[in-house]
Amino acid sequence: MTDEVRFSISKALTAAAGILYIPANFLPVMTITITGQVEPLTVMGGVMELYNTGLIPVALVVFLASVLVPVVKIVSLSWMLSLHGTAIAQARRMKVHAFLTRIGTWAMIDVFLLSILVAVGQLGILASVQAKPGAVFFGAMIICTLYAADIYKTYMIWQPPISKPT
Amino acid sequence: MVAAWAFATAALITLIPANMSPILVFSIAGNSQENLIFTGVEGLWNQGFQPLGALVFFSAILAPVIYLLSVSYVCAAWTFQKRPPLLAVAFRFLEALEPWNLLPVFAIACMVSVVKLRTLGTVNWDSGALWILSTAVFTMLAVQCFDRKCVEIYLEEDK
Repeated sequence: MTDEVRFSISKALTAAAGILYIPANFLPVMTITITGQVEPLTVMGGVMELYNTGLIPVALVVFLASVLVPVVKIVSLSWMLSLHGTAIAQARRMKVHAFLTRIGTWAMIDVFLLSILVAVGQLGILASVQAKPGAVFFGAMIICTLYAADIYKTYMIWQPPISKPT
Repeated sequence: MVAAWAFATAALITLIPANMSPILVFSIAGNSQENLIFTGVEGLWNQGFQPLGALVFFSAILAPVIYLLSVSYVCAAWTFQKRPPLLAVAFRFLEALEPWNLLPVFAIACMVSVVKLRTLGTVNWDSGALWILSTAVFTMLAVQCFDRKCVEIYLEEDK
């Protein structure tokens, strides 16, 4: 794979993640049924619910991991990619890239949370948890951001703008 | 590197009970439901979310196993200064799977889910949670101790 191809794929994945972010956050991720009451939950809804029950630290963790991290990733990836081939802020871009790969996986918290809730929510009418399409968008978005950061290698930051064969 | 080998092996060993024993027991009105990592995969799969089930299976069960196996293989080879077959392949696996090793994240997700479920019914920790926690800690220690440059140089010498 040449660097040009890597760059293009990274751009495409970032754009895809940006688009997927919208349905991932507005469609319900799951419905929780407790003693007959059905309750659809979005990602943000889950955070709000934790916040309202007074569990502010936990709400903060979930908010950071599943709402803020994807936004930060998408914004800084597009910033990084838009400066590709220029000499602007190269050292800073290195730092951002390292930071991105470090925080990248934390958004998976929500997918795991869903899998645990689905696992325990198999008590029929008393308590059941049903996954919803929003979760698929969410998972797809996370994979896109993970690969977008992974496929753009750090050495590419330092490359001269034109690398076309003459 | 020897330390990384030790931690990776420890993580591998604790990974077995982590996958076999229930993480938490949720009960409501006298009915209770146990939960393994795999139950979640199964549940998602049965509800028609095969991609998500596969994603959880891959990142919480398969990737940690392969990742830890390749870390201990590479570190053992370095420790004994031997060049066993497929050393380069194992190293490539290790590099590729590093971002996919999500057990520490899974451990946090367990905690959040307990907090969330507490508002709905009764939740009790089970032994699996401790095993997962110890696997996560050992994995992080192994990652800290692992020296990539060291292996790269070692592989270079091979040629």
